[in-house]
Amino acid sequence: MTKSTFKKKFLPWLLPIVIILFWQLAVQLKWIQSEFLPAPTEVVQTAIVDWKKGILQKNISISLFRATCGFVIGGGMGFILGLLSGTSKLFRKTFDSTIQMLRTIPNMALIPLVVLILGIGEPAKICFVALACLFPMYINTYHGITSIDPDLLEMGKSYQLNTVQMFKQIIFPGALPTILMGVRYALGTMWTALIVAETVSADSGIGYMSTNAQQYVDVKTIYLCIIIYAFLGELSNYIAKNLETIFLEWRNSARSLTEE
Amino acid sequence: MHQNSHQNRKIFIFFLLVAWICVAFYGFKQTDLGNSSEKLTTIKIGYLSGDEIEISAARGALKKKLRAKGYNVVFKKFTSGAAETEALASGSIDYARTGDTPPVAAIAAGSKITYIATGGVKSNGTGILVKKSSGITKVSQLRGKKIAYTKSTASEYFVRALLKKYGLSTSDVKLVNLETNAASVAYSKGKVDAIVAWDPTTAQLQLSGSTLLADGNDVNYNNRSYILSSSTFAKNHKSLSKLLIKYLSQDMKWANSHHSTLIKLLSEKLGVKKSVIKTTINRRKYDFEPVTQTAIKESQAIADTFYKAGVIKKDPKIKSHVQYLSVN
Amino acid sequence: MALIELDGVSKKYGDKTVLKNVSLKISEGDFVALCGMSGGGKSTLLRLISGLEKADSGSIKQENKEISTINSDARMMFQDDRLLPWQTVIQNLLFGDKSEERIKLAKRLLDRVGLIDYQNSFPASLSGGQRQRVALARALMSQPKVLLLDEPLGALDALTRRNMQDLIIKVCSETNITTILVTHDVQEAVRMADKIWIIKNQGIAKELTNPERNNQTAEAQLKKDQLVETALSCILDNN
Ligand SMILES: Nc1ncnc2c1ncn2[C@@H]1O[C@H](COP(=O)(O)OP(=O)(O)OP(=O)(O)O)[C@@H](O)[C@H]1O
Ligand SMILES: [Mg+2]
Repeated sequence: MTKSTFKKKFLPWLLPIVIILFWQLAVQLKWIQSEFLPAPTEVVQTAIVDWKKGILQKNISISLFRATCGFVIGGGMGFILGLLSGTSKLFRKTFDSTIQMLRTIPNMALIPLVVLILGIGEPAKICFVALACLFPMYINTYHGITSIDPDLLEMGKSYQLNTVQMFKQIIFPGALPTILMGVRYALGTMWTALIVAETVSADSGIGYMSTNAQQYVDVKTIYLCIIIYAFLGELSNYIAKNLETIFLEWRNSARSLTEE
Repeated sequence: MHQNSHQNRKIFIFFLLVAWICVAFYGFKQTDLGNSSEKLTTIKIGYLSGDEIEISAARGALKKKLRAKGYNVVFKKFTSGAAETEALASGSIDYARTGDTPPVAAIAAGSKITYIATGGVKSNGTGILVKKSSGITKVSQLRGKKIAYTKSTASEYFVRALLKKYGLSTSDVKLVNLETNAASVAYSKGKVDAIVAWDPTTAQLQLSGSTLLADGNDVNYNNRSYILSSSTFAKNHKSLSKLLIKYLSQDMKWANSHHSTLIKLLSEKLGVKKSVIKTTINRRKYDFEPVTQTAIKESQAIADTFYKAGVIKKDPKIKSHVQYLSVN
Repeated sequence: MALIELDGVSKKYGDKTVLKNVSLKISEGDFVALCGMSGGGKSTLLRLISGLEKADSGSIKQENKEISTINSDARMMFQDDRLLPWQTVIQNLLFGDKSEERIKLAKRLLDRVGLIDYQNSFPASLSGGQRQRVALARALMSQPKVLLLDEPLGALDALTRRNMQDLIIKVCSETNITTILVTHDVQEAVRMADKIWIIKNQGIAKELTNPERNNQTAEAQLKKDQLVETALSCILDNN
């Protein structure tokens, strides 16, 4: 038991810790000497200084705001469109191929258009993140609904469930695992889109902090920004994973039995 | 036991999400969306890192004074002058502070942009640098050497003017077009022999073993700052423009007399050593005034040079893109 | 009087005729077993009665009413349990209708099939036999007049299967529910049903009765063994 918790809890952290220790040693003992590789402690110092100046909190929170807004708007729209496509044949026939076509446009290609229409303020950045979150949510919701076991749908039909029951008992919970996968995926594209949006034209946010630092070859801040992104990415991934465990409890019940 | 840990997980994730939303809301409060007041007319001013507007923004007086006149000033930071003129043309910002070349390029490309004000002389901080160890001491020794510059910026105008003055042609040297950051890196790694730069890069290089071989004074190049606006906005907001120039020039007077505060501020904003900033601001004078004939002649010279060199496709008449205002 | 009455029913899938001109009558309280070769149309017949499929011609009546949509007085139990994996045992019975009355009924039925202690477990943590018991309880939730069993025991091991057979017999006789059981296993048919119909050549080839179903004497056992033989030879007979 204790051995297995050790394996579960600490093993994933082992490699990062070793890498960071090695990195610190390598810089401190001058095995590697480069202006592009500051020691981890220097990066931490930069973080502390920026925190005291208030820059760090401001930029992180602004980035988080843009990301969250974009995710809620884009993910929500993707979910609704996916729901309609998955449940209504008419809607699917009318809209699906158009949406699929739009999906293939690379995000970067939309920047000039978004800037032209929405300018360079918050709406443009949020719109950009929303676009990036819309498609994974759409695809997964749509796919989740259309790939529900037809036997279960037939069972619902023969047990005379009404439309609401059909949706609440079978369609939605059946599609939920795929939808939550979409959430996890959209959270990933959310951060990528945000970096791009914030490097294009911004005067705040982590992406701005990073490009600004690049302009003045401030390598420590660049590393700090990378670490913040990694942390935020991991945080959202952690939340998504836990949402899966919470909402898909039924899947674990079988697994925990077979594991023990 | 199992049920219990499930419950704990739910509570933990719930609080994590609440914390996430709180932080995001705090972020919202810090954006323009979150703190713009409705009764005021918002005006947006574009600027570049470390320039005069950043000083004004940090001082805060301009914002306060214009607020009293019914305007809410929002400062927008850009990474290049070209991005600023683009934003001006599309109406995303109302005013912009740029160097002298971006408006020339924008007007040549057909943008409807108007000069509102001109800034102080920066001829001491713009120039060409070589490493002390290179042994180059005269401009004529640059023959055959690699010179890093950035296309259609002040550095291109300067290097062309310099070569012309010393009777060299662009084929007598090897001109290497690099982005400003890339140019610094290439120069510090010895990939090029000389670099054309402006402050604070010039000062930074001078303090780390480079010589300023020639500066703006050698070719009568003042490398001024300008305040620009879109032509339609300028036409409809003359009184606002006057106010802006008046308050900006007050801020510049303050900047000239508060060097120690300024050094601290700029070195923090730019992430550059204080000694570098000190050199930079000691050799320039901050100023803003309505556009003068001299400044327009300087810009026309840039336009003519760029046109001849093929950098721009048309030779614009700068004169017809100016609003002459009188500020008491 | 017949509860279910089929008259001249035919069913085609594409060009393939599965059932041709089938007529039959099932009385209230009957326990009918349908036996026959795989692909003979047993499931199709059951699905016609449940209303999941529509006949090409002929009429299907229950209590003299034509079955045009889903038959609300019949409930089907499938070969796979078709429980909703994301819902607990009791939720699988309720389908979201949490009225006090239905909860009471669900608990009574779970008690009847011996799974009251598992009401809050998820199907994945139950065994195959336990899952089929839940499915049985679910089929009884709407208190149907007819129970349609499409090889519900096919996937179970021999012991569990025997237990389930006994449970179904008990439940059916207690409620006097009319039952139609589709099975491959002739022995199972003889053990459970009092009428055994052989499906062959797109119709009902033979109707056998099993009067000794509940009789366990050696003599009765012998008769039942003979019935198994008759049924098997009828199924395998090549005419
Ligand atoms: N939806 C369908 N579409 C086309 N053909 C079908 C369909 N359902 C059944 N069939 C065909 O009809 C025939 C009878 O099928 P049915 O499922 O009724 O057989 P069965 O007697 O239940 O066989 P088994 O014992 O293997 O379950 C088969 O040949 C099958 O291929
Ligand atoms: Mg079948």
